[in-house]
Parts: sequence; structure tokens; C-alpha cells
Amino acid sequence: MATKVKEPVETPAATNGSANGSSLISNDKLRQLYATMLKCRTLEERARVLFKQSKFTGNYYAAVGQEAAAVGMAIDLRVEDTIGPSHRDFITGFIKGAPLDKMLCHLYARGNSPDKGRSSPAHFGYQPLNVITPASTIAAQLNIATGVALANKMKKNDNIAVAFSGDGSTSLGFWHEALNFAGVHDLPIVFVCQNNLWAESVNLQFQTKVPDISVKAQAYGFPGITVDGNDVVAVYRVAQEAIARARRGQGPTLIECKTYRWYGHSEIDPAKYRDPEEVERWKAKDPIANMEKYLTGKKLFTPEWKQEIVDGFNKELDAAIEIADKSALPEGIEALDHVFSFDIRDRVLNPKTYTPSY
Amino acid sequence: MALVTYISAITEALQEEMRRDERVFIIGEDVGVEGGVFKATKGLYEEFGADRVIDSPLAEGVIVSASIGAALAGLKPVPEIQFSDFITPAMDALTQQAAKLRYRSGGTQTCPLTLRVCYGGGVGGGLYHSQTNTTWFAHEPGLIVVAPGTVADAKGMLKAAIRQDDPVIYFEHKKLYRSIKEDLPDGDDFVTDLFKAAIRRPGKDLTLVTYGWTLQLSLQAAEKIHAETGAEIEVVDLRILNPLDKDTFLESLAKTGKMLIVHEDHRTLGIGAEISAIAAEQAFDCLDAPIVRLTAPDVPAIPFSAPLEKFYLPSVDKIVEAATKLLNY
Ligand SMILES: Cc1ncc(C[n+]2csc(CCOP(=O)(O)OP(=O)(O)O)c2C)c(N)n1
Repeated sequence: MATKVKEPVETPAATNGSANGSSLISNDKLRQLYATMLKCRTLEERARVLFKQSKFTGNYYAAVGQEAAAVGMAIDLRVEDTIGPSHRDFITGFIKGAPLDKMLCHLYARGNSPDKGRSSPAHFGYQPLNVITPASTIAAQLNIATGVALANKMKKNDNIAVAFSGDGSTSLGFWHEALNFAGVHDLPIVFVCQNNLWAESVNLQFQTKVPDISVKAQAYGFPGITVDGNDVVAVYRVAQEAIARARRGQGPTLIECKTYRWYGHSEIDPAKYRDPEEVERWKAKDPIANMEKYLTGKKLFTPEWKQEIVDGFNKELDAAIEIADKSALPEGIEALDHVFSFDIRDRVLNPKTYTPSY
Repeated sequence: MALVTYISAITEALQEEMRRDERVFIIGEDVGVEGGVFKATKGLYEEFGADRVIDSPLAEGVIVSASIGAALAGLKPVPEIQFSDFITPAMDALTQQAAKLRYRSGGTQTCPLTLRVCYGGGVGGGLYHSQTNTTWFAHEPGLIVVAPGTVADAKGMLKAAIRQDDPVIYFEHKKLYRSIKEDLPDGDDFVTDLFKAAIRRPGKDLTLVTYGWTLQLSLQAAEKIHAETGAEIEVVDLRILNPLDKDTFLESLAKTGKMLIVHEDHRTLGIGAEISAIAAEQAFDCLDAPIVRLTAPDVPAIPFSAPLEKFYLPSVDKIVEAATKLLNY
């Protein structure tokens, strides 16, 4: 499988001494990469159906077509590593191991979801696994994740942060501020830009003058790498390098995954601004089908195995959906909770009788 | 006369002003080919081209800052922020640059731009697609802040704003876009006086002061109370949040003696607090009851889950309840 990896601007750190590096990837890992992508797709396609059936409201931003980028980046992260997801990174929580019932309760905005019904459906965060609950403000998560990386450095552990964003995000000041700061302090962070060519209806050419976003890392003094974002093995390889580099205290890496979203910006966007041929061209580069071919060549794939994964996962999904269906919505008054470390319900509802609890 | 929605009134205003004055141009995310995420700029790209309807990079800071520069250089920019929630990267541009330019230059430089901002909840948009953050700007001297609550104002105030020689922030509530329609007169000189509040319903028993979507809810509540009790609520539509038109609500209060302020923005230091303070200072003698505010609670933003959203937002029922209590005081 061809990996279109550009040489990092600063090579030695990126090629030396990483455990996995560009060395052999085990068969088990290859199969795990494939199976995880397949589950991500199954999860997202089901989420899309549930949205269309009005089983949950709001909106959903599917990353279907982009699975290789998320899976290749996140599959080997430790619990202690932090992910800063964007609106399109619902699946990163799943890849990191978040329980499906929690994810479904989140989509359904139930009272027992991790955020207790506060955030929009695609904005899944999960504190036990250090997945930051996303804000919609584009690129904001990069700076927050940079702060986590700073803390990790100060605490002298070898945990890292991985911050995800899209091509559009690279236009915001936030994005540049995060990269600059992380570069200055050699922070243990990997910035992942999922360049899917479109930011809502705006094409990459109106977002930036450069064809490869990875070159922007040069301005901040650390390696920037462009990789075929639909090739999970290629992404996994560069991710391993970047992660190892960060763990060794050698600073950040920017990884640009060239990929494509199959559907509209969200479930309510028919994406008429795109040429249908462009969509077809990219669908032909389906990261899952690609990986099937690759695994077949290595005699690691059978259609029966695929069916087994899908069936087994669908059962897990059904069970999670049932839990979400049966879970209660929050009560309206819970809107007043979690504003501060102390309760404000009483203060808001009975201003005269309020007494502080300390 | 033609029956139009709030959002088509906005499109018409933009189109007419762009035809009238070639200095007027639009810039924002998705405003071009896509016609904006809510389609407020639909058709304008086709008519005026990519030079006057500019799809910007995803960067509110530069959308507003560049507009300020263009205004300084004699153009009339009409930038768009697609959701008011995403205005924060432009905060410096608005509060430190646009608001202070005339002042800091001793009146020698001006900044005639009209920033269109879509705001407001009640559409299940959740934390980051629903905020009503009008107060952030109403607090800032140097910015004219308007929030039209009717179709006629949507058009007339936008045209007036574009012709203004100051930075205007024009807040359009997304719930109003397609839920109200009005007959608007044809012809392009339909311009509203920006600086005057409006009495939307006359009454003698209670003054209800509001703006935006809650104007519509307040009118329904007033109608309901009238049908049930015969009480007459005077509904004042603020329209402009900075500078406030005090005279209109003070005159109304002099007539009714009671005042209820309804808004969707947070309570603490919101517009309601200011109106209440003005009334307490300048019309204490008129008051027959405490001034009451019905607002969103002081929680960080509107939560997503439906029961939470319902609890958070003002509604016809909540207005009826608050107004009834006050009428019976
Ligand atoms: C500061 C800010 N401005 C605008 C938006 C509205 N918005 C949400 S997603 C999006 C496009 C994001 O594009 P990109 O970063 O390329 O990510 P993708 O959706 O392609 O994954 C926009 C404009 C926002 N959420 N935040």
C-alpha cells in the first residue's frame, strides 16, 4: 500500500527510535484497524438513520469516508492521553473505548448521558477516557488540548494530547496560536488536520492559498506531514511516529490527512455545491474497501469475518439503542445545575430563602 | 404590496441597497454560492458576483476586521456572522476597533459597517447554535445594536443601518426567519427610523418591554390575557438596544404604572436590568408595583435536551403567568 508521506521538515526525530515507526505492523493490528473502521462506519450510518427517523433531534456531522484518519490516529492512544475532538469527531470517543450506551444516550440527549443532555448530538466528550467535550467554536479545541499538553510536560509524564480539526479550521487565529505555542514549548501534542476539501460550502481554495496544509507547520518550527488520509496503514504509521516523538518530549507534529466527507456538512445539508463526480471519485477511494483489498492480499480477510464483525457490532448497537430509548430525559429544572461548584437552583428559584452552603 | 417572510425581507433589503449604492458589499462564511446557511443572501452572488458577495475563509476575526478596514476606506461592508455563538473570534474587532474608531480618532474616522448576526434559541440548536448574546454588545458605547422583531423592521432597519455612518450590529432571531409574514410596500425607499422604539399593542394596565422573538410571544400572551380578563397590556418593542429609546417605555410606564421586561438574554446585567434601573431612577413616582424581569436564567448557555431548553426559554405561558401576577399586584 502506497504511503504518500512527505519527509518531515525536521527528519531525525520523526524517523529514529519509535517502537512502531515505519517498521512492521502486526497482523492483529492490521485487522484491528480494519475492524474499528468498519464499526465506526456502522455506528455513524446507524446514527444517520436514527436522525432521519427523528429518534434524536439537533444535527449530526458524519465523518463517513474519513474513518482512516480518526482510526489510524487514535487507535493506540492510552486512556491518559487526551483527545480534543471537533464537531466531526464523534467516532474518536468510540475509538478510544467509550461505551456505546453512553454514546447513544448522548445522541438522544438523555439525563444520564455524560453531559446530562447539555451538548448537541455530535459533540461527544467522555471524561473517564480524557475525551474533551467539544465546543462548536471552530479550532478552539486545539488551544485547550495544547494546554493539556503543557500540563503533561509540567507534570513530567509521557502522556500526550491529540487535537483534531478540519481544513476550514486552519483559517482561524486560534489554530495558529495553538500551533505556535505548542512549537515554542515543544509540547507533547499531535495536531491532526482532516483536510476533506470542504468547510460547509466553501472549498479549500477559498480557505488557503497552499495546496498542502502541512507546510504551515514550518512556520511554527516543527514537522508537518501530508498523508493519504484514506489509507489507514499510512495514517497509522505517521501517527506512531508523531505520537512517539511527542512522548519522547520532542515536540508537536502536524499531520494533514487528505480525505473526504461523503455526505453533506451535516444531515440537513444536501451539499449541492459539490460536483457529484467529485463525490464518486472519492467514494472509489473508500478507506474501508481499500483496507479490505489490502488484507485480502495478505490473506487476512474473508467476507464471513466482515459479516461477523458487522453482525456482532449491530447487536451491541441494538442493545445501546434500547438503553437510550428507555433512558429518561433530564428534567427541565436540571438546566440550572453544573453552573458552579455550588448549587444555584435555590438561589434562582427562591431568591429570598437562599443561604450559602459553606 | 407583497407577502414576505422575515428572511426574505432581509434579502430584499440587501439587494435594494446593493443596487442603490455600489459601495455596499457582503462578506461572510458560505454567503456566496450557498446563499448563506439560512439563505439570507440567496441570489445575491448571482446578481452581484464574487467581488461583492465574498465567501470568506472560516475566520470571524478577519471578516469583521477587514470590514472595518474597508469601511474606513470608504466602502459599506455588510459582513455576516452565521451564528451569534461564533462571534467571539471577532470580539476584539468589534469592541476595541469598530466601537472605538470614531472616538479615538476625535471624530475624524468613521466605521460605517453593518454586521448581520443570527441569534436566538427555540430551534433545538443546543449550546452553540442558540445563544442570545445581545448584551455583550449593547454594553459597548460606539456600537449601534438593533434587533428587529417584525418583518417590516427586518427590512426597514437593515436599510437604515446600511445607510448609517456608524458600526451597527443587526441581530436577527432565527426563530423569526420563516415563522412570520407581512405585506410590505414595494419600492426601495422603505426605511425605518432606527432610533425609536415602537408600541406594538396599546394598553393601559401594564407595560411589557421586549424585543426580537419574545416580542411575538409577548403579543400572543397579551392577546390571551385580554381574551381571558379584559386587561390591556401595552407592548413596547425596543427595536434598538443601544442607544436605548428611553422615552417610549417611560411614557408608557407613566400611563400604566406597571412594567414587565421580557428577554431571552441572561438576566444579570442584561437589557432588562438597565431598563429597570432607568425606570427606578426616572419614573419612581409612576410605579404601582415592582418592576419585574422575565429572562433566561444565568446559566452559561442554552442546553440541548428538549426539557432543558424549554425550562430555559421564555414562553407565552411564562409571560402570561408573570404578567398576571403583576396585574394582580
Ligand atoms: C468560529 C466558528 N465559525 C463558524 C462556525 C460554523 N461552522 C461549523 S463547522 C464549519 C465548517 C468547518 O469546516 P472544517 O474545519 O473544514 O471541518 P469539517 O466540517 O470539514 O470537518 C463552520 C463554518 C463555527 N462552528 N465556529
